Amino acid sequence: MNDYQNILEYFNQLPVLVKLVWYVSFLLFIFILGLIFYLKILRNNLRENEKKRIKYQKIYEENLINYLYAGDGIEGISPEQRVFINNMKKDISNTFNRNVLISVMTKLVNDISGEIAQAIHKFYFETGLIDYSLLKLKARKWEIKAAGIHELTQFEVKQAYNEIEKLIKHPHKEVRNQAQLYLVNLFQFKGLKFLNDLTYQLSEWDQIQLLEILQKFDNQEITDITLWLKSNNLSVVKFALKLAKVYNQFESKETLLELLKHNNKEIRVETIKVLGYFYDTDSKEYLKSNFHDITEGEQIAFFKLLENIADQTDQHFIIVNISHPNFEIKLMALKILKNINQPKFNTLKLAENDIDVERIVEFIKNN
Amino acid sequence: MDSSTVRIILLTIHVLFFIYAFSVIFSYVLLSFVSARESSQYMKRNSFVNYNEILSSTVSPSISIIAPAYNESLNIIENVRSLLSNHYVNYDVIIVNDGSKDDSLEKLIKAYDLVKVNYLINHQVPTKPLREGVFKSTNPAFEKLTVVDKENGGKADALNCGLNISQSKFVACIDVDCLLLEDALQKMIKPFLELTDVKVIASGGVIRIANACKIKEGKLIEINLPKKFIEIAQILEYLRSFLLGRMAWSRLNGLLVISGAFGMFDKKIAIDVGGYDTNTVGEDMEIIVRMRRSMEEQNIKYKVAYIPDPLCWTEAPDNYKILISQRNRWTRGTIEVLKKHRKIGFNPKYKFLGMLSYPYWFFYERLAPIIEIIGILYFIVLIALDNVKWDYAFAFFLAAYLFTIMFTIIAIYSEELTYHQYTKKGTGIKLLLVTLLEPFVLHPFILYAGIKGNIDYYFNKKIKWGEMKRKGLSKGESN
Repeated sequence: MNDYQNILEYFNQLPVLVKLVWYVSFLLFIFILGLIFYLKILRNNLRENEKKRIKYQKIYEENLINYLYAGDGIEGISPEQRVFINNMKKDISNTFNRNVLISVMTKLVNDISGEIAQAIHKFYFETGLIDYSLLKLKARKWEIKAAGIHELTQFEVKQAYNEIEKLIKHPHKEVRNQAQLYLVNLFQFKGLKFLNDLTYQLSEWDQIQLLEILQKFDNQEITDITLWLKSNNLSVVKFALKLAKVYNQFESKETLLELLKHNNKEIRVETIKVLGYFYDTDSKEYLKSNFHDITEGEQIAFFKLLENIADQTDQHFIIVNISHPNFEIKLMALKILKNINQPKFNTLKLAENDIDVERIVEFIKNN
Repeated sequence: MDSSTVRIILLTIHVLFFIYAFSVIFSYVLLSFVSARESSQYMKRNSFVNYNEILSSTVSPSISIIAPAYNESLNIIENVRSLLSNHYVNYDVIIVNDGSKDDSLEKLIKAYDLVKVNYLINHQVPTKPLREGVFKSTNPAFEKLTVVDKENGGKADALNCGLNISQSKFVACIDVDCLLLEDALQKMIKPFLELTDVKVIASGGVIRIANACKIKEGKLIEINLPKKFIEIAQILEYLRSFLLGRMAWSRLNGLLVISGAFGMFDKKIAIDVGGYDTNTVGEDMEIIVRMRRSMEEQNIKYKVAYIPDPLCWTEAPDNYKILISQRNRWTRGTIEVLKKHRKIGFNPKYKFLGMLSYPYWFFYERLAPIIEIIGILYFIVLIALDNVKWDYAFAFFLAAYLFTIMFTIIAIYSEELTYHQYTKKGTGIKLLLVTLLEPFVLHPFILYAGIKGNIDYYFNKKIKWGEMKRKGLSKGESN
């Protein structure tokens, strides 16, 4: 008791600043104790949840396989399957279980196709999992909304079209991205309608995703991409250029030629690349006559185009550009010259002091 | 000097120390909050991403992995195998054998059926000349591999050679002894492709410590906590640095450094600024500062992105001699870079970079060991003069110590709530015990290395890289 009073007296006579530091230390000490104690609980919970997740994952995998084998091969649900569905309905009222089941089903549905995939989709409807996903679309938090769209995409719920289409202009990027993936996964080219009046920029990542999904489907009716090539949204034009290349949209050539005069440099470069892919000769003369007015990126793209379509008439243009300051253009010019006129290439008088050209010629001769 | 003048000087010194300590604490608290928010957002944002769609795409951008190697004969075959096993489709691997004196090249030739090829190099960045030349594999299974054998010029020179060789739009520069996870490239490329309003010039990854982890055929099989104190303490350091510090700076777009062990760059921008600087040991930090500076000067909106996923695992020093040598080099690198780019500091023309990133780095990284050692020496003088107010001193020491502990525990929380890599029972206790001891055991060595780095920088210019003896990642054991 005496000791305690002594400490208290000592503490009271300390300067305010030191007292304050002691208070802070005391608070930090309590806080650290709390953190240590909770860290133990947290790590235990994480471990337990992981164990539980693995356990339920195994159970649900087995149940799903049994469910699939219990099918009678005809449309509809067999009585045994109905029992599985009813059992599962009770389980999925628990969020944890529901999330595990969804992840198991997603994994399964990604690995299979045909009738079995259809049976899983049916299971998704019959158990009522679809209602939980639809409910998520109304959530305030963006991540829940996005998760809902993701699930509806995985289980191909076309009925949610109207609700998800509204989310295509959602302020949050991930929600928009999931909505785009939904539309394209389920409606292919028709799902790209949102591009018609897109106000935000479609990222390169989004474009690659959409293109990959489209390429999964065979025998599609390809929409006319001219409208998108003429879009005011630069990212839509870039995406349309990718579509033009992947789907050989040669019929859009006139619009592509117009894009050579687009005010965006990247679009002009991409356009030249697409025209090069089409072995287009009409763009050649235009680009040749404007060669000194276009950017270096366009010049490189144009020379790549020339690698495919150059002929004897281009010889003078090619020879002039052997002394171009850009290494890539020099290399392509010399390669093209060798292709269109080997004797000329062999007797070429090299400019003095251009070590690059000497090295390139030597390299081309030896390869 | 009369006694009142001395008193005023002493009081000023005390106040300056107090302001410095308080501002350090305040900045750490602020960074913790920012990083917590950013980590949570990052985890949510990436929970739906299907990386497979990017993997197989023919329009996904090309990436070259550039890995300089110097006397890495012990592990080079395994390491290259690890680099070749990435899941990304459109990539290649360029190993730059930087004048190794061992049999690295011979081993590579034998293991990967390499033959010398004619290769036209566009010397956009000057480098040391080739020695044996460029090699490609005759085995189609290794068609992604290119090995370049050149004269020794240091890591930066080797990376520059890789930049010249690469035909890709992006380059991932990596230490050859690092182990990359199979999905590392698609995660690192994502920021370059997903941001539409700014130009992403580089992205940096988290470096994790692989000591004691189980690795088989270049793949990470099991994550273990090492047994040695020095290794566990470095794990805590890395967690603090990568999950709290860099995550926050990334959110603020103020990252000044991307670890040389694993970073991805827009190749054109890296070449346009002149590639890596061969005259510094801090080439990883220097190129980022130079790229940022160039963007600011051109008034281009840009970002240096950061990926917190544990994608790159490396071997950390397991003895104090090598640790000191490594930290000494880091200190010299920081001094060199900050000195070279001193124009940026406190220059409003460079906006956030000049007014916050640079000053932060200058005061809390560059000057930290110097201020700390001055503080310690000053305290010793006060003890000698019997002029210490122990109640003050003890209270402040305790508060500083507790704050350090709290900050480290928050870093552990950050790890648990995001990636939870150390799942084994008992690991939490070990981490906590090391947390309590680290300020007394590891920190003095780090401080010593920092001071030695300063001394070496000013008085021993001949020192360059220092030694890092490798044991090899494949020797990890299960705990």
